[in-house]
Amino acid sequence: MTIFLQSLISGILIGGVYALIGIGLTIIFGVMRVINFAHGDLLMVGMYGTFYLFTLFNIDPFISIVITMPLMFLYGGFLQKVFINRILGALPQNQILLTIGMGLIMSNGIMLAFTSDYKILSTDYSSSSFDILGISISTPLLISFAITAGITVVLYWFLLKTDTGQAIRATAQDREAAQLMGINVKRMSIIAFGLGASLAGTAGALISPTYYIFPQVGSTFTLKAFVITVLGGMGSIVGATLGGILIGVAESIGGVYFGSGWKEVVVFVLFLLVLLFKPSGLMGKSNT
Amino acid sequence: MKPLFKNTTGIGALPAITGLLVVVLLFLFPRFVENTYALHIMILIFISIVMGSSWNLLGGYTGQYSVGHCAYFGMGAYTTMMLMQFRQIPPWLGIWCGMVAALVVALIIGSICFRLRGPYFVLASIAVAEILRVSALNLKNITNGAEGILTTEIPPLKIGGALITDFSSKVPFYYAGLVFVLLVILVTWLLQNSKLGYYFQAIREDQDAAHSLGISLTFYKNVALSLSAVLTSLAGSLYAVYVGFIDPSTVLALDLSVQIVLICIIGGIGTIFGPVIGALVLVPLSEALRSNMIGESLINSGIVKADSAFGSFLTENLSHAHVLIYGVLVVVVILFMPDGVLGFAKALAARKRKEVV
Amino acid sequence: MFGKIQATALALILALPMAAQAAKVKIGFVNSITGPEAPIGENLTNGVTLALEDLKKKGIDVELVKEDDTGKPEKSMAAFEKMATRDRVAGIVGPYSSKCANAIAKLAEKYKTPLLIPVASKEEITRQNLKWTFRLSATTYDYATILLDMATSLGKPRTIAIINENTDFGTSGAKSAKDYAGKKGIRVVAEEAYAPGSPDYRSTLTKIKSKKPDLVFMVSYVADAILLMRQSREIGITPQAFLGAGAGFATVSFAKEKAISSNVFSSTQWTGDVNWPGAKEFNRRYIAKFGKEPTYHAATAYESMMIMAETAAKAGGNQEKIRSALKSGKWNGIMGEVKFADYEGYTNQNKHQMLVEQIQNGVHQTVYPPKYVSKKPVYPFPGWR
Repeated sequence: MTIFLQSLISGILIGGVYALIGIGLTIIFGVMRVINFAHGDLLMVGMYGTFYLFTLFNIDPFISIVITMPLMFLYGGFLQKVFINRILGALPQNQILLTIGMGLIMSNGIMLAFTSDYKILSTDYSSSSFDILGISISTPLLISFAITAGITVVLYWFLLKTDTGQAIRATAQDREAAQLMGINVKRMSIIAFGLGASLAGTAGALISPTYYIFPQVGSTFTLKAFVITVLGGMGSIVGATLGGILIGVAESIGGVYFGSGWKEVVVFVLFLLVLLFKPSGLMGKSNT
Repeated sequence: MKPLFKNTTGIGALPAITGLLVVVLLFLFPRFVENTYALHIMILIFISIVMGSSWNLLGGYTGQYSVGHCAYFGMGAYTTMMLMQFRQIPPWLGIWCGMVAALVVALIIGSICFRLRGPYFVLASIAVAEILRVSALNLKNITNGAEGILTTEIPPLKIGGALITDFSSKVPFYYAGLVFVLLVILVTWLLQNSKLGYYFQAIREDQDAAHSLGISLTFYKNVALSLSAVLTSLAGSLYAVYVGFIDPSTVLALDLSVQIVLICIIGGIGTIFGPVIGALVLVPLSEALRSNMIGESLINSGIVKADSAFGSFLTENLSHAHVLIYGVLVVVVILFMPDGVLGFAKALAARKRKEVV
Repeated sequence: MFGKIQATALALILALPMAAQAAKVKIGFVNSITGPEAPIGENLTNGVTLALEDLKKKGIDVELVKEDDTGKPEKSMAAFEKMATRDRVAGIVGPYSSKCANAIAKLAEKYKTPLLIPVASKEEITRQNLKWTFRLSATTYDYATILLDMATSLGKPRTIAIINENTDFGTSGAKSAKDYAGKKGIRVVAEEAYAPGSPDYRSTLTKIKSKKPDLVFMVSYVADAILLMRQSREIGITPQAFLGAGAGFATVSFAKEKAISSNVFSSTQWTGDVNWPGAKEFNRRYIAKFGKEPTYHAATAYESMMIMAETAAKAGGNQEKIRSALKSGKWNGIMGEVKFADYEGYTNQNKHQMLVEQIQNGVHQTVYPPKYVSKKPVYPFPGWR
C-alpha cells in the first residue's frame, strides 16, 4: 500500500510539471495547427536560463521564473514572427520539419556555447523531503506543483476574461472566421507561440533543481508533451492539465507494477487507446 | 475487374537511353573504383534512397505523413539479424522474413492509425514506433535488448555449389543496394502510371472527395502503407547486414524516422526522383560536414592558414557544429524551397526559359 | 539528370584534396564529438590533447586526423574508411562507445590498420580473434566483479538489488553483476532497468526499499547517478553499501554533491591519486588546462594515444611493424602496466587492474584493492546525514 501511495503522490507531483509542458504545446497547436517538435528544446533553453541566473547571479530557480517567463515569451514570439508565420499556409510536413530544424539549431547552438557537459543545479533543498504517514514528499517538487497550479489558474483567467485571451480562443476555434471578425491572426499566433514557449521555459525552470541540464535534454519532453496533448484533446487546456497528471501517475505506477523498463510502453499504449476510442482526446469535442 | 497496374504514358527515347546508361555505369562502378570509402558512401546513399522512396509512396503519393517509419526499418533489420545470428538463417532468406514482419506490423499499425487524420496520424505513428523501440529494449530474450545484435559471421552465398560471394568486401552490398534502389524506383514509376497510384493521389488531394468517388480510404491507405513498409524493411535489412551491428537506439529511433522524412522533403515529395535527389544531397553533405571536409579543404588549398584564428576555429569548432549547420540547412530549405531541391530546380529552370523567350 | 548529379556528388567526395604525406606520424582519432555521448567524448578529446603535447616534448610530431562518429556505428565506419584509405593513417585510437567499436573492429582487420580502443568495455569486442584490434581498458564484467569482491571482503552481504540504465553498458553491467553475485552466493532481490532521462525514479526506489537489500548496485551515466542518489535519500534507502559501476558515479560533478555522494563506492579504470607512474602529474596538469578533474576516460585516451603514437613513430609508420610492436610491447604509464595479451578467449586485451574508489568528503579516494589504497574504506554505509 505504501508503495502504491508513494508512486501515486510522486506521479501527481511530477505530473504537474508535465501538465505545464503539455499546456504550452496545446496552446500552440490550438491556435496554429502546427505540431511543435521544438517544444522540448524551448524547455531546455529555459533550463539553461535558470541555471545561469542561479550560478551567476545567485537567483533561486523558483524566483527566477519571473525573469525566465517574459524572456521566453519574447523568444517564442520572435521565433513565430521570423520563422513560423512565413509558412502557416504550407504543407503540414513542412511545418513539422521547420520546427525540427529549429530544435536542432537550438540544442546544437547551446552545445557550442556551453559544451555538452551535464549541468547540475544544486540548491540546498534539491534533495530535501518530508514524511507523511511513511510517504516521502519531495519539497522542491511540491513547491513547483504549487507554482504550476497558480500559473494554470492565471492562464485560465487570461484566456476566459481578457480580450486578447478571447481573441486567441476565437482564432483556435476557427481561423478564417476570426480573421473576418477583425482579429489580427498573425499577432495572435505570435502571442500563442510566446505563451507556449514561456510555459515550456517555466516548466524547465521548475524541474531544474531536481533534474539535470544538457543540450539534448529536450527530446524526452517533446515526446511526453505530444502524448499529453493528444490525451487531453488537442487545443484543450483542461485536457492538457489532466493529461499531464495522468501521464505522471501512469509512469510512476506503471514503473512499479510492470517494471521500470516498461513504463514508457504503458504511457504509449494508454495514448493509443485514447486515440482509438476517443480520438478527440479526453476533453475534446468528439467531432473528428 | 480492371487491372490495377496499367502503363498509360510512353517514355521518351532520350530519357530512356540516359537512364539505361546511368544504370549500366552504376553497375560497372565497383570495377573501376576500388576506393572503399567511396563505395561506403554509395551504399549509404542507396540505403537512404530506398528508405526515402519507400516513405514517398505513403507520404508523397498518398499524403499520409508517417513519422514512425523507423518501425519498418527496424523490423527488417531485427528480423534479418535475429534469424542470421540466432537461427543461422542466411540474410538472403531472412530479408524475406523481414518483409513479412514489416507487413504484419504495417497492417496492425494501419488498422489503428488510419482511423486518425492529419496531426493525429503523425503522432500515432510516432507512438507505435516508440512502443516497438521500448519493446525491443525490454524483450531481452528475443532481441538481446540494449546490448544489440552483433554479426559474427555472414554465411557465404552459394548457388548450386558455386560461390557467388562470401561478403568479405563491400561489392555485394553495393549491388544489393543498387538492385533495391532500382526496385523501389520501378515500383514508384509503375505506381505513378497506374490506377492504384491515381487512387493514392486522389486520397492525398482530398480525402472526402476521394471517398465520395467510391475510393475506399482505409483499404487504399493500408495498401500504400504495406507497400511502403515492405520496401522500407529492405533498407533496414541491408543496413543491418552491412554494418553488422544493430541496437534499438540506432534502428528504431525517432531520429531515423525524421531523417527518412527529411530525405523526401529536401528532394521533393511525390515525385519519382525527389528522394533520390534528397539522398544525393543529404548523405554526402552530412558526411562532408561530419568529417569537416569543408574546413579541411579550405586550409589545405591555402585559402585559410591552419594556425590563424579562423583556421583553428574551422578545425576546432566547426567539427562540433555540423548538426547545427544541418539544422540551419533544414530551416533554409523549408523556408525558401518548400517543394524541395527538385521543385526549386524546376521552378528556376522554368524562369530561365521565360527569360530567354 | 540523375547521372549528372550522382557524378558531381562522387567527384565531390573523391576530388577533395588529398592531405600530403608528411614525415611525421599520422594517427587517426575517432570519437563521439557530437551526439548523445558527447559529454563523455569530450574527456577523451582532452586526454588526447594532453598526449599530443607530451609526444611533442618527446620529439614525436603527431599529425592528428580527428573524426566525429556522432555515436552512430555507420558514421564510425565511414570515419574509419576515410582514415584508412584517404588519410592513410598509421594507426587509429578510439572510438568511445562500444557499439561504434564493435562496428569498426572488423574494419581494422580488413584494412590491416591497428586500432587501439581506449575505454569501450563490451567483452565481445576483443573476443572475435581479431589480430588488429587492441583494447587498453578492462571489460564491463570487471566493473561488477571488483565491487562485489570488495563488498565481500569488507562485510557479509547476503542480498543485492540491481538498478541499471537500459543501455548497452547498463544491461551488460547488470548481467555481469547478477552472474557474479550468483557465484559469490549473494541473492538478487530486485532487478530494475530504467530508461535514462526520467525525472522520477521514486516509485522504483520505494519498491527496492521494501526488499531491504544489503547492497544496491547501480549502473548509470553522469546525471542519472545524481538523480538516483538524491531520490534514494528522499526515500531513505539504507543498505550496507551503494555500489556504482563507473560512469556517472566516477564523475567529479557527482562527488561534489556531498549530501548524496558521501560513502558511495564506484569501480573505475583509473583514479587521480593512484600510484601509477605519472598519474598524479596527469591529474594536476589536466585540471590546470581544462579546469576540471579528469575522468578515467581521459586517462585511457591519453595512454592509448601515447602508446599508439610512440609505437608508430618507432616503426616508421609501417603498420605490420606497429601491430607486432603493440603485441609484444610492454608499457608502464598513467594506466599502470599495459600488455596486450591473449587469455580466456580474449585477443589483444590488456589485463587492466580495476580500482574501487569511495567518495569521502566530496573527493574520490582509492579504497580497493589494498595495494593502491589512499584512504581506508567506510563500510558499512553509516546512514544519511
